[in-house]
Amino acid sequence: MTIFKTLISLSTSAIAIAVGIAPATAGPVMDDIKAKGSLVCLVSPTAPGFSVPDSKGVFQGFNADFCRMAAAAILGDASKADIRGVGFSDSMKTIVAGEAHMGSRSITRTGTRDADEGLAFVATTFFDGQGFMVPSALGVSHALELDGASVCAEDGSTTLLNIADWFGAKGMSYRVENIADKTARLEAFFSGKCDVYASDVTALSADRQLASAPGDYIILPEIISNEPLTLVARPDQAFEAALFWSFQVMLNADSHGVTSANIDAIVADLGQQSPTVQRMFGADAATTDMAAKLGLPNDWAYQVIKQVGSYGEVFDRHLGTDTPFGLDRAKTPNAHAADGGLMYPFPIR
Amino acid sequence: MIPASPPPARQNDVWQRWAGTPVTALISALSAAFAIWAAWAVLDWAVLSATLPHRPMQACAETDGACWRFYVEKSRFMLFGTYPYAEHWRPALVSLLLLALSGIVGLRITGRLRVIGPRVLVALWILVIPLAFALMGGGWAGLAPVDMSRWNGLPVLLILSVIAIALAFPLGVMLAVLRYQDRWPVLRRAATVYIEAVRGVPMVTVLFVGVFVLPLTLPPDTRISPVLATLIALVFFHASYFAEDVRGGLQSLPDTQAEAAHSLGLNWGQAMRLVLLPQALSRSLPALVNSVIGAYKDTSLVVVLGIHDLTSTARMAFSEPGWGQYALEAYAFVGIWFLLSCAFLSWVGRELHRGQSGRNH
Repeated sequence: MTIFKTLISLSTSAIAIAVGIAPATAGPVMDDIKAKGSLVCLVSPTAPGFSVPDSKGVFQGFNADFCRMAAAAILGDASKADIRGVGFSDSMKTIVAGEAHMGSRSITRTGTRDADEGLAFVATTFFDGQGFMVPSALGVSHALELDGASVCAEDGSTTLLNIADWFGAKGMSYRVENIADKTARLEAFFSGKCDVYASDVTALSADRQLASAPGDYIILPEIISNEPLTLVARPDQAFEAALFWSFQVMLNADSHGVTSANIDAIVADLGQQSPTVQRMFGADAATTDMAAKLGLPNDWAYQVIKQVGSYGEVFDRHLGTDTPFGLDRAKTPNAHAADGGLMYPFPIR
Repeated sequence: MIPASPPPARQNDVWQRWAGTPVTALISALSAAFAIWAAWAVLDWAVLSATLPHRPMQACAETDGACWRFYVEKSRFMLFGTYPYAEHWRPALVSLLLLALSGIVGLRITGRLRVIGPRVLVALWILVIPLAFALMGGGWAGLAPVDMSRWNGLPVLLILSVIAIALAFPLGVMLAVLRYQDRWPVLRRAATVYIEAVRGVPMVTVLFVGVFVLPLTLPPDTRISPVLATLIALVFFHASYFAEDVRGGLQSLPDTQAEAAHSLGLNWGQAMRLVLLPQALSRSLPALVNSVIGAYKDTSLVVVLGIHDLTSTARMAFSEPGWGQYALEAYAFVGIWFLLSCAFLSWVGRELHRGQSGRNH
């Protein structure tokens, strides 16, 4: 048994993360990120379009880019985001236990989750709703025809609760196939182990791409819930503000057509720009004042756009019409407020 | 006249065995046809219709054959997953160490490499197991710390199979001895209850207990990584199977062995250590190898717990947008890995079988 003890003590010391007890200047989480020089951000391990590792094992996708946004704003370098793929229920525990700084993994902001003092919901990056995917061979065109179906859904997520509510309200019966791993769950669905795959509709259209014949599956028209997918942080006022306003910079850049490609030209010619753009990227701008108060580098807003891009740019890069997912942002609730969507940029001044 | 000499017996024998009667002839013809068809299909997929590695990705979309470019791009990812790219030498070294050590054990129990004594082997295990964790985890001597959520692919498969089996073995022997002896009836009962209970539960249940129940027994602010929790669950699971294999060996020994040991003045511990266990272990080796093959293949079940072993990283490799049509390439990679490693294990099993039947005759 001594081998066993050494093994456990060795490995736990290897994974132990010392929590810095430096004097609080900005906030404990913010100080911890700066002291370590890296920001631990949790994403889903396999969510095509949202977070999936590339050939070098680096997570790429819509959600992963918000990890980079935070690292660019706080550390001035997007590559200092330590992006880790962790399953859903484990990621919440990891953040509450203080072993990660934030999560960007399509977590729905709900009242009871927000009431948990170990978690702070910050900014909704994606508005989604839950739907159902079925094989077209099932011959079902409406969710109301799903009485008695077996449903594959993620354990511990709001998905199961929504299904229970919706089927209960309609007086329909169903059976749940609970598989924690997403790929295994999808495989179960594609191989016919369950009739219905339930998830957020955007995730459904991404997951459908994993089928050998994506055309064999249809997404039913019913949307049974509201899913504001939100960034989660370990509670720290300065850190939450940095995340929230970095996201607002991305939305404001979106409304003024500022992108990672043209930002250098815009900054070089700042005098000709609109006052909003000047307040974001000027040398003595509103963002400089915020930087001093939150403990960020002075050029944080520039770095976010330069290294990550505007909201529209990130959306189109990973989910837009040029990708296999082909989402037309203007037709989703994630369109800019001016186009009738829910993405409403807050004033930076 | 000298009668024509009969054809050489050997050829005749082969012909007799493969096509002696119409039924065997038919079966032989069918299996030969199937083997040729399968070999041709593999050759066609892997070579003839394949897109060779120097061709660009676009060329892959146009053929039905293997896309070798996929392996150029994704092999490292499938082996080591999201482990930091610049640090891949660490998981590679850990995998090599564990494979080499398993290979040595395999060769040693089939009677090769006699220079390496059992004590040296045990010492190597005691050295390599903590070293594997220290190398993977880092955080010392300038090695960057790497979180367990980044331990993916081959090293995690080996940690959860090789290390779990290595740690389960001594525990299994201990349980077998406890269940076999009758000096301490309480311990005997306890061992029996433990072994029967664990063997009566499916492995997936044991894994879920490890990942979801084990953390509840720890103080509230400590978190145990899923990899570690799974490792502990697997050790306790495999131990009960090993215990039954070893107990089989112990019970097959004639009573006279124990009686002879006692009459030589050996006490219970000495008799067990010097006389009974060595014989029992060598008798139970084929059964143990059988359990090891099962345990090794079952390791892939850990994917249901969100641990990314080789099978899981292979699936992640084709989950990246644009790579979805290369699932076959990815699964072939995993398949060949398991084919090779299981072939080694069953070779060890066959060698043991041959050695044993040789000894008994």
